[in-house]
Amino acid sequence: MDLSLTDDQVAILDAIDTLTRPYAGASLHEAGFALPDAQLDRDLAEGGFLDIGFDPDLGAVSAALVVERLARLPQTVEAAASALIRPLLGGDLPRPLCLVEEGRTTRPIRFLREGATVLLVGPSGVSTFTATAAQVRPEPEALYGYPMATLLTVPAERTLHAIPASEVLIRWRIALAAEAAGLLAAALDITVAHVTDRQQFGRPLATFQALRHRLAQAQVRANGVRWLALKAAATLDPGDAALAALHAQESARATVYDFHQFFGAMGVTLEHPLHLWTYRLKALVGDLRGRGGQGLAAAEALWG
Amino acid sequence: MDFDWTDQETAFRDRLRALLADTLPDDWERFSQHGPASPALTRYAESFCGTLAEQGLLIPHWPVELGGQGLDPWHQTILAEEMWIAGEPRGGQYMNVNWIGPTLIRYGSPDQQARYLPPIAEGKALWCQGFSEPGSGSDLASLRTRAERDGDQYRVTGQKIWTSYAGLADTCFLVCRTSDDRKRGISILLVPMDTPGITVRQIPSLIGEGDIHEVFFDDVIVPVTARLGDEGQAWEIIGYSLTNERLGIPRYALARAALDRAVSILKAQDEFDGEAVKIEAAHCAALTEAARMASYAIVDRRAKGEAIGAESSSARFATVMAERRVCEFIVEYLPEALADAHPYLKMHHQRGIVAGIAAGAAEIQLNIIATDVLKLPREPR
Ligand SMILES: Cc1cc2nc3c(=O)[nH]c(=O)nc-3n(C[C@H](O)[C@H](O)[C@H](O)COP(=O)(O)OP(=O)(O)OC[C@H]3O[C@@H](n4cnc5c(N)ncnc54)[C@H](O)[C@@H]3O)c2cc1C
Repeated sequence: MDLSLTDDQVAILDAIDTLTRPYAGASLHEAGFALPDAQLDRDLAEGGFLDIGFDPDLGAVSAALVVERLARLPQTVEAAASALIRPLLGGDLPRPLCLVEEGRTTRPIRFLREGATVLLVGPSGVSTFTATAAQVRPEPEALYGYPMATLLTVPAERTLHAIPASEVLIRWRIALAAEAAGLLAAALDITVAHVTDRQQFGRPLATFQALRHRLAQAQVRANGVRWLALKAAATLDPGDAALAALHAQESARATVYDFHQFFGAMGVTLEHPLHLWTYRLKALVGDLRGRGGQGLAAAEALWG
Repeated sequence: MDFDWTDQETAFRDRLRALLADTLPDDWERFSQHGPASPALTRYAESFCGTLAEQGLLIPHWPVELGGQGLDPWHQTILAEEMWIAGEPRGGQYMNVNWIGPTLIRYGSPDQQARYLPPIAEGKALWCQGFSEPGSGSDLASLRTRAERDGDQYRVTGQKIWTSYAGLADTCFLVCRTSDDRKRGISILLVPMDTPGITVRQIPSLIGEGDIHEVFFDDVIVPVTARLGDEGQAWEIIGYSLTNERLGIPRYALARAALDRAVSILKAQDEFDGEAVKIEAAHCAALTEAARMASYAIVDRRAKGEAIGAESSSARFATVMAERRVCEFIVEYLPEALADAHPYLKMHHQRGIVAGIAAGAAEIQLNIIATDVLKLPREPR
């Protein structure tokens, strides 16, 4: 076992940090509910950062590291599915790549818009289509930190992909866990900064043990989600992937309200960017039938 | 990044499993319900550790000059996992080989090393650690057991509590006060347990008989040559010992093994059928594997010679979360396990209650994470 980043991985993450530095430092005053960024998306795509999973030498672990790192940014781009699932489908499908579970197609979908590739996965297999304007209803008022839209119809005419649905589901779970790991880390960081600065009763809020312990537990969870995501990316094992996604959804559930709590009223404003991470975590919690869905998938993989 | 075991590591684990299968008695699972510090297990451990020593598996991580093979922290982890999954047939001797021995190697005088290291390496020693006192648990530096210097000897008076193995131990790693300076006034004495003036009283416990004790020191005379390191050096030495034992016992491994066993029993009884039981089992596994990976991240850094600090508290807290959830799972879905139907699960449950207490309470781990990992300003004192 060697759990250090390889030189290549260090170089990739450094390059991402350099590329995203101007974005990370952007003014976030009244950033709105979601903060998609077309320029960032183009920069990342042109830099090849979303294609890393196609390179067998770099593979899914490097792709997961990229997803985790990008999820820390206040801006959002569709990276998780593109980086981790597109390598199964081939490179020429237009981005963003939107994931939809068969039987749940009426749920709001992240990044869905005209021209996006929609991937439908379920018992009848894996298929894709390019969304038309008529199939998509944007949801600008959705309470999520991603641009969301509803799919109005699923066309009968779709491209079938000769890959097992199970492989897509494995990578979907890894993508979810890697993204959640970055979101958790960023939400924790910004909350730590706030409780360190904010004084009440003549001392920083961070000196109250009731907060310290809950933040420490959030650290334990964020760390666990990150490692489970990376391990699952390395093994591509269905059990590892389901455990990673389960831990991610459970950890999101266990921490999001604490983060808001510790900001007090500031945490319910759109002036502060906390929601950009927490309301993305909320969107991930419902993927693939939530914790129950991951739990049953894990139980099936582990114990048959 | 590479998450695979090397061939050598896999072979090492296989070898340990084969040895355990060959060596442990047929009724081992029932037998191991005697806690790791019970008289029965302590006696068994002497023969078992003798076997390990003969096979070069008792101190493989010690330096070659001292009878070890210099194996890296990954092998040490594999050894710890396999032994703990098996119910720790080394009894209290795991402590000797993991940190008492290495601490003596670093700080012991030549006489102390000559006297104490060979019995540890042969599997014949049993130590106890006298840290906690009735008034000093988490706040160890407040300890009051006094060692008054009198010429070339110390006169020790005071009381220790929760001392594991004390009933049968031959030597005590005793932490006591030699001056009033809170941390620099603490010293370590290596005290034979048959020294006049020492009285041991067993404390009945939930984790099996003979496990924890009170130890009274009444005018116990200890030669100055029995002091480990300098006067006042205890805090530094304890710090070093901890680096060898930062992660503590790999409880995540037994928790996962107990979970797998519980599920296989439930399946055999056609009771692993509802969604609730499956989802709860999966939550347990997610926590054991999260704790495992958090621990491995630290082993990896140790193996690379990096200094390990507060991150290990994060792995320890993750382990506590996992241990508790698995214990709760078994109580809820396989209650007969606690009534002796499944000795292995009962053994796990007995030991599990200690996870968040012994060797540093869970809340102390959270305090460390808050201050040293998250870098939050300290609580006022
Ligand atoms: C099975 C077992 C074996 C042991 N073996 C040994 C041994 O061999 N040698 C030895 O010296 N000791 C031993 N111990 C003792 C162990 O080290 C202590 O129990 C431990 O350090 C906690 O001390 P305490 O029990 O006095 O609890 P206390 O210090 O009284 O704490 C009680 C609880 O209060 C909370 N708490 C304490 N401090 C804080 C804080 N600063 N912030 C927030 N919460 C806090 C925690 O929840 C803690 O569990 C053993 C204990 C057990 C259970």
